[in-house]
Amino acid sequence: MLGPLMMTRERYNSPSYDISLIWVVLSLLAFGMVMVYSASIAYADASKMFGHNSTYFLMRQALYIVVGLVAATIVFQVPMAWWQKMSPYLFIGGIVLLILVLIPGIGKVVNGSRRWISLLVMNLQPSELMKLFIAMYASDYAVRKATNMHSFTKGFLPMLGVMVFVGVLLLREPDFGAFAVTASIAFSIMWLGGVHIKIFLGMLAALPLAVVGLVVMEPYRLERMKGFLNPFDDPFDTGYQLSHALIAFGRGEFWGVGLGGSVEKLLYLPEAHTDFLLAVVAEELGFVGVLVVVLLFAWLVIRAFSIAKEAVANERYYGALLAQGIGVWMGVQGFINMGVNMGLLPTKGLTLPLLSYGGSGILANCIALSVLLRIDFENRRLQKGLNS
Amino acid sequence: MLLKESQHKLVKLPAWRRRTLLVLLLLSFMLLLGRGFYLQTLHKEYLIKKGEAFSRRKVVLMPHRGKIYDRNFKPLAISLPVESLWMNPTDVRMSVPQLKQVATLLEMRPKELQQKLQQKKKEFVFIKRRVAPDVAKQVMAMKIPGVFSQKEYKRFYPAADVAAHVVGFTGVDDTGVEGIELFRNGVLSGTTGKRDFVRDRKGHVVEDLVAVKLPHDGQDLVLSIDRTVQYIVHRELLKAVDKHQAKAAAAVVLDAKTGEVLAMVNIPTYNPNNPVNIAGKTRNSAIVNIFEPGSTMKPVTAAAAMEFGNYTPETKIQTAPGYLRIGTATIHDAHPNQVLTVSQVIQKSSNVGSAKMALDLDREQLWNTYLQLGFGAQTKIGFPGEAAGKVRNYKTWRPIEQATMSYGHGISVTLLQLARAYTVFANEGELLPVTLNKLSEPPVGRQVFSAKVANAVKGMLELVVQPGGTALKAQVTGYRVAGKTGTAHKLGPQGYEHDKYVGSFVGMVPASNPRLIMAVMIDEPNNGEYYGGTIAAPVFSAVMNDVLRMLVIPQDGNAMPTVNPAEMPEVKEAM
Repeated sequence: MLGPLMMTRERYNSPSYDISLIWVVLSLLAFGMVMVYSASIAYADASKMFGHNSTYFLMRQALYIVVGLVAATIVFQVPMAWWQKMSPYLFIGGIVLLILVLIPGIGKVVNGSRRWISLLVMNLQPSELMKLFIAMYASDYAVRKATNMHSFTKGFLPMLGVMVFVGVLLLREPDFGAFAVTASIAFSIMWLGGVHIKIFLGMLAALPLAVVGLVVMEPYRLERMKGFLNPFDDPFDTGYQLSHALIAFGRGEFWGVGLGGSVEKLLYLPEAHTDFLLAVVAEELGFVGVLVVVLLFAWLVIRAFSIAKEAVANERYYGALLAQGIGVWMGVQGFINMGVNMGLLPTKGLTLPLLSYGGSGILANCIALSVLLRIDFENRRLQKGLNS
Repeated sequence: MLLKESQHKLVKLPAWRRRTLLVLLLLSFMLLLGRGFYLQTLHKEYLIKKGEAFSRRKVVLMPHRGKIYDRNFKPLAISLPVESLWMNPTDVRMSVPQLKQVATLLEMRPKELQQKLQQKKKEFVFIKRRVAPDVAKQVMAMKIPGVFSQKEYKRFYPAADVAAHVVGFTGVDDTGVEGIELFRNGVLSGTTGKRDFVRDRKGHVVEDLVAVKLPHDGQDLVLSIDRTVQYIVHRELLKAVDKHQAKAAAAVVLDAKTGEVLAMVNIPTYNPNNPVNIAGKTRNSAIVNIFEPGSTMKPVTAAAAMEFGNYTPETKIQTAPGYLRIGTATIHDAHPNQVLTVSQVIQKSSNVGSAKMALDLDREQLWNTYLQLGFGAQTKIGFPGEAAGKVRNYKTWRPIEQATMSYGHGISVTLLQLARAYTVFANEGELLPVTLNKLSEPPVGRQVFSAKVANAVKGMLELVVQPGGTALKAQVTGYRVAGKTGTAHKLGPQGYEHDKYVGSFVGMVPASNPRLIMAVMIDEPNNGEYYGGTIAAPVFSAVMNDVLRMLVIPQDGNAMPTVNPAEMPEVKEAM
């Protein structure tokens, strides 16, 4: 058995936390803050709405990071067992918030989407929290229904029903990006939890139908599609945003024009500090900057999956699924955001996790990664023979 | 532990499923890196070019066009700063009342402005060009996003139609189209500058890509023209044209000591500030048109006869019976005379007397005299389209032509050439070059006749305005005037037209020490009168009456005009 090996001195003295994960997350947060500042200087300075204050977004982002780190520290103290027990209730709470946000007067409309609940100090975006709650709920569900996971009616169908409900709520806002991410998280966990492979093959076949259905429901999505395929056909209207994002990539070349040197952020590229932050990174820091961001995200995903592997070895199945759910969240949202920036995917309102400006996003990301850190922490304690 | 033991054992998390998902995610990241690499290395030229269409601007920096002054530094042409308002239609946020207000300020129809706003595909649309600065300021004070103002210049001609033919005017792109504006365009326009820069979406300069090339402003020009003299000539010429229902008229005033053109006027004229419907009105006919001068050439004949032949002012010439046969042709005097002295030939403008003198001269000598006086060649005054005039080579002359040329037929000159030729009589035989530029010192002339001959002719020219002469109406109270009238049939396609005339007068004043020379030409008078002494000489008199006093030129003559005695009929010159 491995018993005697695990009790070696080195193993006992190894750190209780994943130091490298902490550093990668802090680096991404810090880098994001610098880039948010760089991307928003001209925009904030030119706008009366932000008091012509060039540090408007920097100050707020710094505050969000502080709030996020405080929340992460608190969340880290919570044992995984408690999260697992609370999963269904948190999920119900998330659904309540998603319903609340749709009620005019409570939900705040920005750019045609009702996505925010005003909480005096900051605006809460329920869909961001929902990404974490759905990961928890799906993980708990897969563990609870382990015996029936291979069954279509008893394992898959109830979860599909829940997901359709959540999807309808998200699309009512509308927030197609959050819908894509939550669906990816839920189905990834279903996949990992053992749902029959035939079901997934069937879903893969049904995906094109779903896309057509969405376009028929909201024809503006078709416009976005067309704009994304040939942005320079209509660079003043439907292709405007993507044209400028691509121009930013081209202008950046390999080594970038230098931090602060972006021209596209000078009011040409809308949402440079949120959805299109990577375009500014690409212009100022070049392909090298993009490479670093992609590698850091890849590292995060790999790390989440290896933590999951450890958890499986420790028979902590809930933690394992949740760690992978968080990894999928970071990976899929990062991929979609970067893909949109590069014109690989149609434009949708989705931020780059940990980097883009936004209070709810930063808070949710910090909490999620703190949970991931906790899963790893409990793994390490178990390996040392201690109680989790 | 939350899980029951039975449940626990059933949980299966197959490792291959985890690996498949991870590989899928990592592959999508690979896709991102590939796409990023493509965009930022292979595809960058295309994207950079697209970006420049938005953010790179190349602008031409307009130089300030040089001013044109008269000799006393009164402006004749100046560039006024005006504002051209433009917009980026996609950025404009304008309420309906604002739109109406802007349209009212700019004197546009709101509909027109609305149409310009619809041009969303363009980033640069002129709202209105060349707006008065105070109006532009009012529009800009409304602080409408996306509306901008840019400085431009509008050429303004304070003397308007009075000096139009000399100064000319510029076109929309600020280059000369006519006159001095055209001829001296290179000096006046200066050189444009360039700027190549990156701008933000609101138009602010972010950085210069190429060092800014500043424009070099054009140089100012100071003309020899005196704006006030110009105005007086214009006024009197206009009166004469009106009175005699003439088709056109021109006049040149020279400084007799320097050859500077003090005034050069043509009727009809036009307003260079608004050059529309100007066809046929822009020719500076004093320089670009030629005409047969008629009797104003006789003093040249007399001078040549005295200089190169055996004539003196007192030499007697038989002009009876008032005509002369040369071969098959006959030349006539208007009134038959008997024996006349050379002085009287000039005074009474006898064609026969003039022809006899010319026929006594070697034709090469006479031809050479014409060339020496500058006929048949451009004066090189520096004006676009200057005419040279026509003086045929002496070898082709027949005697009748030699005779008619002596009184100004069969020879074509410009009014400017004619006025310049008279500088020899004002300057003791020295011909001065003419110029439209103010001179700092008198130019060097060329001696054509001896001082004795030139002064003798000047004396004869004084007789012309005396009783018994043809130009009593050229007299100026208080000054001695010397001059010569000319009346000629116009040359049409089928030879001389018997009912179309050109009446002219060339004179100088004060005759004792000439300061000013003026040549006046009235083209096709239609009111019955057509003799130079009747229609052109009064213009000279009226102009000089004002100009001599304005320039404070000392008097040298009688305080009262000398009138024709009642018994003496008015002398008409021959044609």
